[in-house]
Amino acid sequence: MLLEVENLAVKYGNIQALHGISFHVREGEIVTLIGANGAGKTTTLYSIARLAPPEAPRVAGGDIRLRGHSLLATPPDQVVSRLGMALVPEGRRIFGKLTVEENLKLATYARGKDADLAHDFRRVFDLFPRLAERRAQRSESLSGGEQQMLAVGRALMTGCRFLLLDEPSMGLAPVLKFELFRTLKRLNEEGLTLLLVEQNASLALHLAHRGYVLDTGRIVASGTGAELLGNPEVKKAYLGG
Amino acid sequence: MLASLLQNLINALQWGSFYALIALGYTMVYGVLTLINFAHGDVFMVGAYIAFFVASFLLAAVGLPGWAALVLAIPLTMLLTSLVGVSLERIAYRPLRRKGVDRLYVVITALMCGLILEHANLATFGASRKAFPTLLDEQVYTVAGVSVTNLKLAVIATALLVFLVLQRIVTKTRIGMAMRAIACDRFAVPLMGISVDTVIVATFALGSGLAGLAGLLFAMSYPILEPYMGALIGWKAFIAAVVGGIGDIRGAFLGGFLLGAVEIMVVAFFPSTFRDLIAFSVLMLILVWKPTGLFGVARTTKI
Repeated sequence: MLLEVENLAVKYGNIQALHGISFHVREGEIVTLIGANGAGKTTTLYSIARLAPPEAPRVAGGDIRLRGHSLLATPPDQVVSRLGMALVPEGRRIFGKLTVEENLKLATYARGKDADLAHDFRRVFDLFPRLAERRAQRSESLSGGEQQMLAVGRALMTGCRFLLLDEPSMGLAPVLKFELFRTLKRLNEEGLTLLLVEQNASLALHLAHRGYVLDTGRIVASGTGAELLGNPEVKKAYLGG
Repeated sequence: MLASLLQNLINALQWGSFYALIALGYTMVYGVLTLINFAHGDVFMVGAYIAFFVASFLLAAVGLPGWAALVLAIPLTMLLTSLVGVSLERIAYRPLRRKGVDRLYVVITALMCGLILEHANLATFGASRKAFPTLLDEQVYTVAGVSVTNLKLAVIATALLVFLVLQRIVTKTRIGMAMRAIACDRFAVPLMGISVDTVIVATFALGSGLAGLAGLLFAMSYPILEPYMGALIGWKAFIAAVVGGIGDIRGAFLGGFLLGAVEIMVVAFFPSTFRDLIAFSVLMLILVWKPTGLFGVARTTKI
């Protein structure tokens, strides 16, 4: 099992954000967490990625295991550098004053000497040719879609084998959304495991092998993408009828 | 007239070099932590004392000639002073950061750390001043009525060299990129597999090492050391960093040299008691005109 989340309970101060949720991700899968705003999707991802205070939620119970090792005592940089799990955060959070190329280079900071960086640069520029065109530009000058490409490209440059994505389609024009999701599908076919958090449930369930539905801190439904797409309650609540 | 102008210019560059070297420590720490490390002026003072002990040891106990003692004293002083800065971060600032307290308390802690360094020095070595040994035989060159010593030239050259090296570190190396990245968005740095603490330690080490270098050069230029020597010059260097645009390395240099120039020029035309009054009034006007400093940009507060 790649990722096991077991009975995870999380609090922000006195507010209980997650009430003991359990789910898992297997090697090679695309798994999606869907749910309304405030359901606890981002909290779940932040807890897995061990993000530091003050934004960090506090784990009040349960466990998160990556390949059998508990993550609860692992600092967030080591989750990336040692365990090969990267996060594309909501709002992209690229380094605006750095150039596109510097953003990508920075992500290779913690990689070993034997990493084939030239190959990975080619791969990212092949996936996102726009980034190659704009490599010397300050990344704050990119359009929203290009910034999202950079955020994904940057995560790939960490050498990750497991990628978490938080609302990657947010703020993108429909054409760019579909393009991004095609790229995610291709990355998965090349061997990358994905855990995707999305508000756009239909898009996410069409892409994912399996999905979980979060509602106010609890998992209320789970199944394959097709099953959830066909589930009348999921349809009613998250797919607009 | 021209000779006196050139003379003042050289003096201003030398005097501004000290401010610039100290201002760098303020500006780099601010860049990565948005913390004003008010202990930094006293780290400069500690650097001067470290230089004193290192130089005295190398001259007296080891019996090295002055030039050899100087060559060894530079890296040793920088290394030991950077350990002081890193220790401050570990002992005082990091625990507060872990607790996620408001920056105000960290700034107050920094002020206290400065006072502790001053008074630990006073308690350990007493109130008597220390005379710094001569490492470099002073030579005066006079060209067309302008006189300059080898030491002054060395101070100016060192400051310029530091500027070039630092620019290179910040733009070309990974640790420099990480420093700039933290200034953009600290939250996203661990997502790159980079430990924020490592970058912060490197920043303190670099800034304090440069304060140590400034302390050594200052002690060679004005060879009387006392525990409070870092207080006023530290404040002035901090103001220089703000006027240049705090967080920006070019700003630290520009602000440092600007303050040096204003002070020297004031003394050239007014009684020397007017120096600080006029110098700070000029700087205040610059800030009224451009509150973020000459190279500064208004930054949005990040959580």
